[in-house]
Amino acid sequence: MQVNLKVRRYDPETPETEPSYRNYSVEMPENATVLDTLIEVREYHDGTLSLRCSCRSAICGSCAMRINGKARLACKTQVGSLVKDGGEIVVEPAGNLPVIKDLVVDMAPFWSKVRAVDPWLKTDGPPPEREYVVPNESMAALGEVMNCIMCGACVSDCTVLEVDQSFLGPAALAKAFRFVGDPRDDAQNGRLRAYSQPSGMWDCTRCNYCVEVCPKDVKPMEQIMKLRSEAVHAGIKNNNGSRHTLSFVDLVDTNGRLDEFRLPVFTEGKFNLIGQLSYLPSAPRMLRAGKMPPIFPHKIPGVKHVKRIFKYFEQNRTKAGEGSLH
Amino acid sequence: MAVFQHDVLIIGAGLAGMRAGLAAQAEGVDVAIISKVHPVRSHSNAAQGGINAAVDVDDTWEDHAYDTVKGSDYLGDQDAIEVLCSEAGGEVITMEHMGVIFHRDETGHLGSRAFGGQQRARTYFVGDITGQALLHVMYEQLIKHGLRIYEEWFVLDLIVEDGMSKGAVAMDIRTGQVHVIAAKTVIVATGGAGRVYEPSTNALICTGDGIAQAYRAGALCMDMEMVQFHPTTLKGSGVLITEGARGEGAYLLNGAGERFMEKYAPNMMELASRDVVSRAEQTEINEGRGVDGCVFLDMRHLGMDVIRERLWQIREIGIDFAGVDIVTDPIPILPGMHYIMGGIKTDVWGRTNIPGLYAAGETACVSVHGANRLGANSLLDTIVFGKRSGMDAAVRVRTENITLPSDDRYAQAAEKKLAAILAKPMTEDRIAHVRMEMGRTMNTKVQVFRQEDEIKSALDDIKALKKRYETVGVESKGKVFNTDLLFNVELGYMLDVAEMVCVSAIERKESRGAHTRLDFPTRDDANWLHHITCSYSASGPQLGKAPVTITQWEPEERKY
Amino acid sequence: MRYAFWPGCVSKGAAPELYQSMVRVAPELGIELEELYDGNCTGAGVISEHSMETADALNARNFAMAQRMELPLINICSTCQGVQSLAQDRMRKRPELAAQVNASLADEGLFYDAEKGLEVKNFLWVLVEDLGLDKLKSMVKKPLTGLKVGPFYGCYILRPENILGMDEHNERDHYLEYVIEALGCTLITYEGQDKCCGFPILTINKKNSLTMAANHLSSAQEEGADCLVTPCPLCHLNLDAQQPDAAKYASVNGLEVPILHLPQLIGLALGMDPKELRVDRHVVSTRKVLANL
Repeated sequence: MQVNLKVRRYDPETPETEPSYRNYSVEMPENATVLDTLIEVREYHDGTLSLRCSCRSAICGSCAMRINGKARLACKTQVGSLVKDGGEIVVEPAGNLPVIKDLVVDMAPFWSKVRAVDPWLKTDGPPPEREYVVPNESMAALGEVMNCIMCGACVSDCTVLEVDQSFLGPAALAKAFRFVGDPRDDAQNGRLRAYSQPSGMWDCTRCNYCVEVCPKDVKPMEQIMKLRSEAVHAGIKNNNGSRHTLSFVDLVDTNGRLDEFRLPVFTEGKFNLIGQLSYLPSAPRMLRAGKMPPIFPHKIPGVKHVKRIFKYFEQNRTKAGEGSLH
Repeated sequence: MAVFQHDVLIIGAGLAGMRAGLAAQAEGVDVAIISKVHPVRSHSNAAQGGINAAVDVDDTWEDHAYDTVKGSDYLGDQDAIEVLCSEAGGEVITMEHMGVIFHRDETGHLGSRAFGGQQRARTYFVGDITGQALLHVMYEQLIKHGLRIYEEWFVLDLIVEDGMSKGAVAMDIRTGQVHVIAAKTVIVATGGAGRVYEPSTNALICTGDGIAQAYRAGALCMDMEMVQFHPTTLKGSGVLITEGARGEGAYLLNGAGERFMEKYAPNMMELASRDVVSRAEQTEINEGRGVDGCVFLDMRHLGMDVIRERLWQIREIGIDFAGVDIVTDPIPILPGMHYIMGGIKTDVWGRTNIPGLYAAGETACVSVHGANRLGANSLLDTIVFGKRSGMDAAVRVRTENITLPSDDRYAQAAEKKLAAILAKPMTEDRIAHVRMEMGRTMNTKVQVFRQEDEIKSALDDIKALKKRYETVGVESKGKVFNTDLLFNVELGYMLDVAEMVCVSAIERKESRGAHTRLDFPTRDDANWLHHITCSYSASGPQLGKAPVTITQWEPEERKY
Repeated sequence: MRYAFWPGCVSKGAAPELYQSMVRVAPELGIELEELYDGNCTGAGVISEHSMETADALNARNFAMAQRMELPLINICSTCQGVQSLAQDRMRKRPELAAQVNASLADEGLFYDAEKGLEVKNFLWVLVEDLGLDKLKSMVKKPLTGLKVGPFYGCYILRPENILGMDEHNERDHYLEYVIEALGCTLITYEGQDKCCGFPILTINKKNSLTMAANHLSSAQEEGADCLVTPCPLCHLNLDAQQPDAAKYASVNGLEVPILHLPQLIGLALGMDPKELRVDRHVVSTRKVLANL
């Protein structure tokens, strides 16, 4: 079948340093992948095309790039699944990272964030003579996050990184959970405190882009959720994110539904007058539009059943990673 | 052109390279690792099934060693195998302490699975991503210990001065700048040379760089004819399906639905040694009992729970690359080039015949794998001998007085060579053409079943390709990330390796392990119980012999 | 078409215009709503940060009520949809989780049959799949020709695809565009229509939140949109109520993009009185939109 690629090119060495697109049309077998096609182009048609690739089997993580606007592994993307009848496939470098040349991006910011979470097992005291004894469920529970091949697809399409490069990002935070969830790691509290800092776990906007684009089903956002759960249960509460979650829970426990009036107030902290006052300017326009939430929220009739649900799971809580219901 | 200086320079950041780095640094010397890809992109990540060790209380390293010796078809050096197996347990525990999330049994201790060629289960694993799991943990340790890495730097030459290894010349791929990295010792850990064959399970980066560079620098290479064909690879792409599937109980079926291993290895069946299984499959296919040049791996009876916990990546691979869901259908497979048992000859401390030059991992030939490697022994090999090379390199640094080159004439020489390549005009003949022909020739004429006239024909082809290689041009002339230029250099390495494979395969006139000669179908210990070595000469590899070290296990007939 | 109706918390709080327009528009489309007056918050993905199982159980309570009524469940919020779909998926795949959840509901006499499941659909999906675009078109009394409308979906109704039924209904990620066109509007596509409005981090990192909103609003305005329409009141809050504050991060001068709730746009096309649809109860005035009709 004929495959038509539109590839973003960029050569830092040529006078016009603006990126541009080039079209390639190649004949490929029916079950060809985008990577097969790019390799065909670079080997037989245009040797100047640069891209990273190695294993061709979705394990090395080299070939993450934007294909038709979405970050994917080129080796795992079948051409046939993208277009019918010779339609065009747009290939661009991964997003949110500087471009070195063509489809090759500078992964240095990516790796520096991974390093920033102290990504190694931290144990107190000397190791045992043989292996640490841990239940298989706890090792299996880390399987999702261990599947991560550090390809950068999640980082490429993260909507927070798009507006704020200081955010730690889904890959680094998922990696962070790999240690928080490991029963052999003794540094959990220190880790959770560090990851709760600005630009850390609470800055994720929960858009699910990383979950959607991850080629290995790591579900980075879910790992971030687990980090947040561990952090609030570890008592790390002195930040808006934690307060927001805890207040939300508290308000739904009290009323059965969300009390939108109190939520932002409690999020800033009950005694943080300055923070609370920051909402004042927006009050008039909400009032004018009739959009001010009720000061006295409505409790649902069955609120005691809601309370029971909260209590049930608090009592039966298992730590994330220890054969939990996650 | 800058000149950098280090005590130990390690080429390759796969498992062997990184393990060597950690070991050397622990001895207090200055270490740097250079890699043409980021460490976690190294091909170690593709190993799936597991790592062997006699860790169980009722297992002994001697049993593991015997299985390995037998697996090697008695070509393995038994002193090296003893080292490999006696240190295995400690190394696996060390890996676990570093944080590897090994599978556990019901008591919470390390849990094992069965693997080919071994009489009991002793393969420790992480799902079916053991290599990836180990590699990533090793990288974590690298970060923890702050090891210096020259990331995406490509080695062009080894520096040998006064008969000693003194570093390397390398290009920073991002800028195209060529530099000298001087070092008192060099450890070559650049992996295998799978891309010499087409197809292959190997990644595109497995181009035998270190083997060829060491060979050209005067190091002996050994057992180059011993190339392993993995029994379960996908047609066309060559993508690997782990032996762990058979370890979990998968069946091999021919076109008639029969478990044909009954005829070839009635005791161990699908878990016989890899060469035995590959030969069995190829025979079935050659004799018309295959389908489309394949036989089938059947995992349907294993059930979703087992597949979900232990073979998930395989299921993804089946769906993505073969359009088959292993839960409901058998998957077509055939033998594919996977591993090279041969490599740079070393002793049990990783030392080559050039002082200061070490080798470890698939690049090296100690030899622990002899004529055939057992599955899950490769990961072990990288870690045990990576560590030992690192330790011994550090000892050498501390005990020897070595002066390092301080000028950049080596870099200038390398730049001249590159300029010459870039100056060649572009013709219809491209790098890819030459590479493809090399790969196909090797895969047709020097494959599972070999005979002299075919291998000789392959050698002639390789020589002709080497001539063509001299005139093949490079299209990209830039400095930044010029992969086209690097592919040209890699092709040169691959052709050297291919030549050594052919020459050694012609020389060994017997069948042993993975080397099966239809014209010499039996094993001939009387004449051939020794290693074949290659050393560089302008007219091609010069053959030599090296003895096989036998300690405890006299060669016997090899049946599974 | 009868549905158990979960209006969500926000449509009774900071976005009452959504609830009011929905309950007026639904009957015009032949949709009967049986409101879950005792229904509880779905958690909005936030309670999951505290405990995923608690969030699952809270959703199961609503599901159990709907199952008891033997009706499918309709919602008017992308976030509710996403959270509900995820909860269903988790409980269906993990019987032991479903058992725990039901244990927590038992005292109330409620039981959620996780295996049987429940049809949970956002109003947008109901329009396309249950009512049908042709039927919708035929009901349009006042085609909104000349009105340039951009879609804003809301993350939770688009991702992750595999729990939102996109295997079976693989065009759910384009429904809003189809509806816009069925009502006679001119569809405006723009960068950011499937991205995040920033609402979840409004109180955590205001700058990032408003920058996200500003980026998408600016793109829409640059493409010539007269207004945006969204099936999510949380997105509405960040795009409308926060628009004055977001303006300082916008790449256009004079940012002014009115945001309509989905029922409001439908209602206008059905020829209903804009006041009934509470279109005058937004922070960013919809005067321009109404003038264009």
